[in-house]
Amino acid sequence: MPFETDHELETIDLNINVGPQHPATHGVFRMILQIDGEVVRDVDPVIGYMHRGDEKLSENCDYRQAIGYQDRTDYLAQFNNELVYCLAVEKLGGYQVPERAEYIRVILSEMNRIASHFMFMGAFGTDIGVFATPFMYTFRERERIQDFFEEVTGERMMYNYFRPGGIGWDVPTNFEERIRGLLVHVREGIADIDNLLTDNEVFVARTRGIGAISPQDAIDWGLSGPMLRATGVPFDLRKAEPYSIYDRFEFDVPVGENGDVYDRYTVRLEELRQSARVVEQALDQMPKDGPIIASGIPRIIRLPAGEVYQRCENPRGEYGIYLISKGSEKPYRLKIRSPCFSNLSALRAMAVGHYVADAVIILGSIDIVLCEVDR
Amino acid sequence: MLGLLKAMKVTMSTMTRKPVTVQYPDEHKDLPKRSRGFPTLLWDFDIDEPFCTGCQVCARYCPTSCMSVTMQDNPKFKEGDSKRRKIVDRFYIDYARCMQCNICVEVCNFEAIVMNNTWAGREVSRFDRRDLVFDLEDLLKPSTTGRLPDPFKAPMGIAHHGWAAETHGETGEKATAEAE
Amino acid sequence: MIADNPWLDALIRLLAAVALMTFSSLTLIYLERKFIGRIQMRLGPMRVGPYGTLQSIADAIKLVSKEDLRPHTADRWVFELAPYVVFIPSFLTFVSLPFTADWFVRNFELGLFYILAVSGVSVVGVVMAGWGSDNRYALLGGVRAAAQLISYEVPLILAMLGAVMIAESMDLIDIVNGQGRVPYIVWQPLGFLIFFIAALAELYRNPFDIPVAETEVVGGPFIEYSGIRWGMFFLAEYTTLLILSVLASLVFLGGWNWPLGNEAGIGLQLVWIVLKTSFMIMLFFWARATFPRLRIDQLMSFSWQVLLPLSFLQIVINGLVKVYNWPDIVLLLSSGGATALALYFIYASVQRMQEPYPQRFTTVMTRKEPVG
Repeated sequence: MPFETDHELETIDLNINVGPQHPATHGVFRMILQIDGEVVRDVDPVIGYMHRGDEKLSENCDYRQAIGYQDRTDYLAQFNNELVYCLAVEKLGGYQVPERAEYIRVILSEMNRIASHFMFMGAFGTDIGVFATPFMYTFRERERIQDFFEEVTGERMMYNYFRPGGIGWDVPTNFEERIRGLLVHVREGIADIDNLLTDNEVFVARTRGIGAISPQDAIDWGLSGPMLRATGVPFDLRKAEPYSIYDRFEFDVPVGENGDVYDRYTVRLEELRQSARVVEQALDQMPKDGPIIASGIPRIIRLPAGEVYQRCENPRGEYGIYLISKGSEKPYRLKIRSPCFSNLSALRAMAVGHYVADAVIILGSIDIVLCEVDR
Repeated sequence: MLGLLKAMKVTMSTMTRKPVTVQYPDEHKDLPKRSRGFPTLLWDFDIDEPFCTGCQVCARYCPTSCMSVTMQDNPKFKEGDSKRRKIVDRFYIDYARCMQCNICVEVCNFEAIVMNNTWAGREVSRFDRRDLVFDLEDLLKPSTTGRLPDPFKAPMGIAHHGWAAETHGETGEKATAEAE
Repeated sequence: MIADNPWLDALIRLLAAVALMTFSSLTLIYLERKFIGRIQMRLGPMRVGPYGTLQSIADAIKLVSKEDLRPHTADRWVFELAPYVVFIPSFLTFVSLPFTADWFVRNFELGLFYILAVSGVSVVGVVMAGWGSDNRYALLGGVRAAAQLISYEVPLILAMLGAVMIAESMDLIDIVNGQGRVPYIVWQPLGFLIFFIAALAELYRNPFDIPVAETEVVGGPFIEYSGIRWGMFFLAEYTTLLILSVLASLVFLGGWNWPLGNEAGIGLQLVWIVLKTSFMIMLFFWARATFPRLRIDQLMSFSWQVLLPLSFLQIVINGLVKVYNWPDIVLLLSSGGATALALYFIYASVQRMQEPYPQRFTTVMTRKEPVG
């Protein structure tokens, strides 16, 4: 005789705690998944494990000391962060940056974007389940780029190289041929990862249509960077409001169609190629000699009282610094607008209704850097 | 199906390429001359004393306050051997706090402190973090033993021209005289 | 008969099987690490012994000497028995696996049937591990493993059944001898493809490593195990890899025969079986280093909607050929054609997936109560 009840069998959702120690969370991010079988019913992201008070630390330093702390917010795009900070200080102080320094800054920032997107490709490939192969391919090239950065700045990660008004010290003499040699390797790495993943049927089946978000939703959530461009909105600060010398270069802004995980991947892949293009153009145009730092910058910078908001297109999106000066050698307030924080806020909207495995790759496709989210 | 075959082709092609990794502790790759390890102090071989005068400018500019310096009267100045009126008495750097930002090197007026650009300045691991507080003797050791070739200092290229060149040959780096 | 006493004889044979199992697992682990390392342009293990050859032994010593932890809330007997339930079936399959025409522990008339039946038991152990660990990742992984192993057992067995129909025997030695100069992969490409894909799933290898997915369920059913119990899961995994590779080379690649004649001596037989098995193992390693992971629903639908109909198709073709005594070339053409058709359909379905996907409008859900 079959078991009979007058009501349906009741089931409850299972909570699983992903992180803060979990291979898929890219740092110390915790999300509490409420799952019904394999389907995610709710996501509760918990952040703050990496909070070090970066903004307050920067407020307790003078303008030069604080550069070191800018490296440590988004530790995959250090040059880009330094650039935002230096541009903010220059905007408020009214410093004129020499040509050569501008070019070096742009070249290094774009190389950093390449390194950062390589990091995304590798980590994303691992999220999606390849046994570390894309990770090794991209790290191979990222390692070469980091070696090059070490030759220029002395450090592999925390460069502390840009200064308000220019750069700290001149680049090595073999700077140009070194980069051109590097770009050959970079293109090889892009080709490898492209061949390995882009057309791979399993990869496409996993990513296509996952975590899709509409352009309007993306704008409402405040998404930026590749996350926004994947939805089809061609918004790139390098084009929309060119800072530094980005108006001198010719490059495309890749956009996606559906705003899903696959589009985020392809947009980043194309951005790698566009960044390489920008670097090549900058190398062609770069003056071979000249000053590298604006004249008349004192050792201790005192900015005039006022406030400034400077935003730049970082690999992860719009990174902004809001700076208030009261005329002393230290900023009165330094607020960082973190792209990852805004992008991460849409996680719940994107992941609910998908499978557990999809929640992991949606998180991976945001390309979070927890140090930047928590600051 | 084609994508899968393409992926398999890539993995097979990379298998035939040369591995890019090295056996790290056995095989150290060459560090660039600008490499920034932890800060270390230089020894003036001409007079047989440190370059550092204990002026504390590095300690004041350090964002993490990882240094503490005291100065003393230079005994060699009285004897007329040295031109330095004051000399460093005690110098402590907490490597656990140092963030290798290079600011101490930039602000130093005597080119007395440099970032260690050898592997000895990178491989600083201890079982106890209290052992990471280095005193004057430890800080001078890379320099006095001659294991610190061509310490880099921007913007001149190297700190103390000719200091290490005698013992370690050609320095190579082009010096740019673009001061702040 | 190696020794006069049948008990002694059995003991010697079993000890040889155990030794082979341990040795081959350790070697396979080393080879896999080296192979995948080279694919990823790394060196792989290099530290222990010349070119790291003793690395697996060092790992084994480490695993044996490690503390055997059991979570406080774990279901004690289920948790502690699970490794044995996984390990013993893979050991038992060794018993009837002929490596050459003379080298085997015991050859059965229903050898293939026995191997497939016994190896199916290990899923119980995996589910026990998942349940007994009292860990939600382990539970998720265990349930995934149960679903996956049972779904892929079916196409695996049906693919084997096709070969059995052609050979008209379940005795593995008969199957090998029946192949003669032309191995069954020529007549049964579709069957081989199905077998390969199903074997990948049986071994939790990419793209089917869903139960143990590192980035999702962090090792799945084995998450709470440490020391030698974890080592036993590992040993069982690599033994199964070896068994399936040997099985594939026996049933589909012609075993110890080679295209220019099957009158080989014991030495040549051994060379051929080792070469063919290595080829299969290399394919498994290669797939692991190349493919991303499928999702659980895609995995299940692939098994039931693609592999199962295809394996039935293969069986129907074989049956028609056998009943009407058509020449073997029909078998080749039809099976090859079916393979091409199947590949095309998989390709086309993915192409459909690549077409623009309708926008999924996200809505902000209102939170009822805090989670966790």
